[in-house]
Amino acid sequence: MPRLQWTRATRATVLALVGALSLTACSDDDDNTPDSGVKVDAGTNTDAGTNTDAGSDAGSVDTGIPWDGGSAGTFSCEGKAQAMLNFAPGQEEALQDQVNTMAECTTINLAAGTYTFDNAITIRQNGITLVGAGKGTKGEGTGGASSTVLVFTNAAANSNGLDVVGNLFTVSDLAVWNAKKDAIRVESSIDVVMRRVRTEWAEADKESNGKYGLYPVKSKYVLIDECEAYNAADAGIYVGQTEYAVVRNSVAKQNVAGIEIENTKYAYVLGNTAQDNTTGLVVFDLPGNPIMGTDIRVKNNTITGNNRHNFASVAASSSTVSQVPAGTGTFMLASRRVELTGNTWGNNNTVDVAVLSGLTIEDDVALWAAGGFNFASSDVYIHGNTFQGGSGDNVDNGNLSPQLRPLGAALAALYTYGETQGAKGVEHLVWDGVDPYGHARTELNPINICFADNTLPSGTVNAIADLDLVAAGAAAATGNFAGGWALTRHYPASKAEFNCSGFSPALTIGDFIKP
Amino acid sequence: MSPRLSVVLLALTLAACGSSDPEGPGPTPDSGTVDAGTGDAGVPDAGEPDAGMDAGTLDAGVLDAGPVDAGPPLAIPNVLSGFGLFTGSPADGGLVPVEGNVPYTLSTVLFSDYAVKSRTLYIPPGKTAHYAPVDALDLPVGTLITKTFAFPADLRKPDQDVRFIETRVLVRQPSGWEAWPYVWNPAQTEADLATGSRARDVTFIDLEGETRSFRYSVPSKNQCQQCHHLVDEKGDQVMHPIGVKARYLHRTNTYGGVERDQLEYLASLGKLDGLPAQAELPKAPDAFDPQSANLDTRARTYLDINCAHCHNPKGTAGITSQLFLNFDNTSLFSLGECKRPGSAGAGVGGEFDIVPGNHAESILWYRLHTEESGKMMPQIGRTIHHAEGAQLIADWIDSMPAKTCK
Repeated sequence: MPRLQWTRATRATVLALVGALSLTACSDDDDNTPDSGVKVDAGTNTDAGTNTDAGSDAGSVDTGIPWDGGSAGTFSCEGKAQAMLNFAPGQEEALQDQVNTMAECTTINLAAGTYTFDNAITIRQNGITLVGAGKGTKGEGTGGASSTVLVFTNAAANSNGLDVVGNLFTVSDLAVWNAKKDAIRVESSIDVVMRRVRTEWAEADKESNGKYGLYPVKSKYVLIDECEAYNAADAGIYVGQTEYAVVRNSVAKQNVAGIEIENTKYAYVLGNTAQDNTTGLVVFDLPGNPIMGTDIRVKNNTITGNNRHNFASVAASSSTVSQVPAGTGTFMLASRRVELTGNTWGNNNTVDVAVLSGLTIEDDVALWAAGGFNFASSDVYIHGNTFQGGSGDNVDNGNLSPQLRPLGAALAALYTYGETQGAKGVEHLVWDGVDPYGHARTELNPINICFADNTLPSGTVNAIADLDLVAAGAAAATGNFAGGWALTRHYPASKAEFNCSGFSPALTIGDFIKP
Repeated sequence: MSPRLSVVLLALTLAACGSSDPEGPGPTPDSGTVDAGTGDAGVPDAGEPDAGMDAGTLDAGVLDAGPVDAGPPLAIPNVLSGFGLFTGSPADGGLVPVEGNVPYTLSTVLFSDYAVKSRTLYIPPGKTAHYAPVDALDLPVGTLITKTFAFPADLRKPDQDVRFIETRVLVRQPSGWEAWPYVWNPAQTEADLATGSRARDVTFIDLEGETRSFRYSVPSKNQCQQCHHLVDEKGDQVMHPIGVKARYLHRTNTYGGVERDQLEYLASLGKLDGLPAQAELPKAPDAFDPQSANLDTRARTYLDINCAHCHNPKGTAGITSQLFLNFDNTSLFSLGECKRPGSAGAGVGGEFDIVPGNHAESILWYRLHTEESGKMMPQIGRTIHHAEGAQLIADWIDSMPAKTCK
């Protein structure tokens, strides 16, 4: 049953919402417009409707390293002494001491039960394996007969659960409970495996929960497999500033962002379930980061019912996910060369898939310089997915905040008027219409978003929206809602300019992964 | 690792080292036999007597060890007394540095939960440190730096009812610096090596007469790297000492009843060469003495010693955030003025690191002021906030000509 009923909003309310939009930075008279002399993407007359896009990202595409999720770095434990340390609950202090002096290629076995720590387990060694008796099930804050739970409820402020720098690191079959910051943080490491791990905070919707569950960052060759993440105040499963990452067969629920792929090259997100988060899956780049995210393949995931209210801390926050409206299935920002296939979306109150320009969060182009001016979204190939319906009819759960979550407010304002013009809710795919290359508006799909061969709910009229958000927002801000709505474009799934077959060269990440 | 084997090896090693260095505070031969029980976790013997501490180097040639610095690293004793750096203990009213283990103080405070700190510098006989104008002194292999953390029951009577918590020892090994934490026992007779983290409940009366209670966290050995590091040319993190810089050492101290400049005293002992003339010596003021320097200099000094060991162009936090708080950074932007953080995380009080004229909207101040996990700075090393330090930075920001950042 559609919940679309924004016509009840007063004109003044809508005006206030749009007026507060922080998108004016993209207006034409701003010196920071993307085409103001910055050579973002030399030679890219990107390929509206064609499948060739050579040039736009040449040089950063995966050249075909046949990584299959196993170890690929140079550090190896082969032929080296491999120590084994065993611990049981009650031996936390000894464990901490040993962790700080252990040799490379040590395996730490943690018997079933509950371990209580005062501080992070800080590992600075190569070739370490940390293995418990099982990750237990959601809600289990104490270890049972076949589960190992590491409890950080009373640990020192500012500490993570596991804090690791080391190549060839594996953690498996345990749970990290109530970490102060990140549950499992692995940084600057090559060959990282997290398998059958659960990260969880006891209370849902708590702003003071730790920010990230599984958090590999600045790393290379990362595999997250059969893990679970609950109640993180930012992202349950996060991969950032990393090259070659596989996130598969994992579950993320009740987080602000379920799965987050940030400034990452070559990521394969396969067979995961992201439900009941504020936003299920986020793919984005932030400014000032030296890794330009590209080549992200999102396949066979279930991204439904992500309507949890946004509980990320927002007090003057610079946290990106705090700005995402509740009910966002998948959110891409400053992302390119992304393929989404075989996924299922449904019952996401705001929108199933949103594609945005990085300029909507940071308009100062210079700040994007470190990543090669990576603010543009382009080459997004959405095909062979199932959209179940029930999405896009209750933006941000009706709990709008232009200051905190401007996209939600903008969508609500536009579709409030749109409803009077027969719109049935926000389409499955929304593009903000911010074109960093400054093409003529007559070119309908200049950034090459392809939407093809997807299964849609019966009765679907329009599936794709191009908001032209800056212009539409500006019009609406002066009270001209009809004009604002007229600037937005709404297309059926078969619209020729979007009915394209991806980009070239195609992605290779994932081709080598064994099931 | 096998506790028993390591103790035996340690004793042998220490004996060898001690005999090679009869004049200095050589580790006592029996120091390794006091097993504090840190290794008795029921861990099965992996067959590696040296599982990790020095990755195979501990057992190399210790029986015929020549001079300490000839190659093999100094063995790390299980107890602080094993270093032979002090006589007495807090329990008998003193922890007195032996001759050659030179006490020193820094000209401005490096805050750690209001802990009272005492520091010593031991440079082995025949060795000399080299002066450096900006970076830490170039200290020779075999150097031992100690820092002891203690809490008096009442901060207003800092010499009475003092409880010692931990002594951290920085060891200059042939391969570089190592950090080793020792935690004082309840009897205050010995500090035991505690490579893993420890937490201790601490209560004291602060300068305002208020009782403060919190859980003090002794960092683990690996956590020491979070502050004591710089990134080298290869991108590897390398340990470095923080405080032993000329500008912080250039102040007087009392040695044998005589007031001496600390740097000159070290030089007079033959422990420091390359020292320029007095007039050329850099000097960091006491950040909390208005007579010693203007507000800007004092605030910059405070940030330099408390923050810049990470927030500098060679520290990982600096590299990530591009916020450089070292005293000689001349770029107002990378000092934080109207600078947005790379990714500050949530709720840190503002959009910009420093909003000139407005400390309340400056993230820099917020980080120092808050005690909230995930938001406070530094990330480890404090549990409670330094009211005076946060106030100093607030005053400094407020003294800047007001400016609107955008």
